[in-house]
Amino acid sequence: MKYFKFIAIPIIAFVISITISCERDDICAEATPTTPRLIIDFYDISIQEDSKNVFDLRIVGADKDDEDYLTSEVDGVDNIYDGSNNFSQITLPLKTEDSDTGEVASSTQYILTQDYSYDDNDTPDDTDDDIYEGNSDTITINYSTKLVFVSRACGYKTIFENVTISIVNDGDNWISSRESINDNQSVEDETTTHFNFFH
Amino acid sequence: MLCFSVSLNAQNDSIPNTVNDSIKIQEKYGLRVGTDISKLVRTFAGDDYSGFEINADYRLKKKLYIAGEIGIEEKTDVTDYLNITTQGAYIKVGVDFNMYENWLDMDNMIYTGFRLGASSFNHTLNSFNVYSTNQYWEPQFSSTETQKFDGLTAFWLEVIIGMKAEIFNNLYLGLNVQLKAKITETEPDNFTNIYIPGFGKTYDSAGIGAGFSYSISYRIPLYKKDK
Repeated sequence: MKYFKFIAIPIIAFVISITISCERDDICAEATPTTPRLIIDFYDISIQEDSKNVFDLRIVGADKDDEDYLTSEVDGVDNIYDGSNNFSQITLPLKTEDSDTGEVASSTQYILTQDYSYDDNDTPDDTDDDIYEGNSDTITINYSTKLVFVSRACGYKTIFENVTISIVNDGDNWISSRESINDNQSVEDETTTHFNFFH
Repeated sequence: MLCFSVSLNAQNDSIPNTVNDSIKIQEKYGLRVGTDISKLVRTFAGDDYSGFEINADYRLKKKLYIAGEIGIEEKTDVTDYLNITTQGAYIKVGVDFNMYENWLDMDNMIYTGFRLGASSFNHTLNSFNVYSTNQYWEPQFSSTETQKFDGLTAFWLEVIIGMKAEIFNNLYLGLNVQLKAKITETEPDNFTNIYIPGFGKTYDSAGIGAGFSYSISYRIPLYKKDK
């Protein structure tokens, strides 16, 4: 047993190393902050301190099919923007790649429809006579992107800088105005709101 | 009191002197040089790895050896989001203590060792995909423009346990496992060291690594000494 102490240290060390080796570090942990989404809060235009819900909000990407509404998970809950739920806050993923050019994206467009309703005229198979109702506003989010390394498992994330939002004027906008929380707004994480919308 | 000391003396006198053993066993001292077979096997078996190592030890005392390894490695790591090639060279210097009591003129080792390791290497980022949890907009940005991270170094400490057996005269087969703890490393800008030659794979959460080696080595006998 004279050499016991010499052996004991390496053995303990190897048990630790085996434990660490078996850790699945090639899977990106869900809690890791990766590419952030844009967070927008809704406020009342007349009393600007008051949060105000948007009823029956439907959100669809501008170059997506009409049926392809957005679903965004926040804190383990899926926010389904299909036009049947009310929201005072929305979480919008931004494009990281321009699908036309394959280059880095610099803008994302969404159509936000308030008071959305849909009537298939009792003919579910015939889409020609379907009636969609609601006030649709198109917003354009412009930004520049930056690639930031996260970890070996998660690789790179995109963060967004110089983010601006413009509301396309259609003569009947339900979104009255918008403001960024900071000058020179960037979207680097999902811990705080980035923009306020008034309606 | 007097009586006691007398009796002690008497006892000592009664023990006969031990006769010296007529056969003297001599142990060989010399420089042992070898290579890591596992690196050669992996080089020829897979296309994402190539490596070569020369290892050596020199018997300083009955149980103490000065030991070291020098080698080169090239490895490509592919994850879901990254594709990286690492290239570099390393050197490890330290000591091995033999803990095995050999019979007669046998010359085997069960040993524990310590090393200081150093590596100079570079990473080439071949391609990557941006990670995003929300896949409403697909695909995420991907790049195949290669990016090189040069002039990287790392230092680490190593604890080894292993064994070496003399299978033919002066020819040894050995195996060992190594636990490594990083001391310092150059962190590349906006990237991390995915793999360090000589150290092995790195982990996100800890500066600890592990490795193993199977070696074949030959001892150049220099002189002999009585056991």
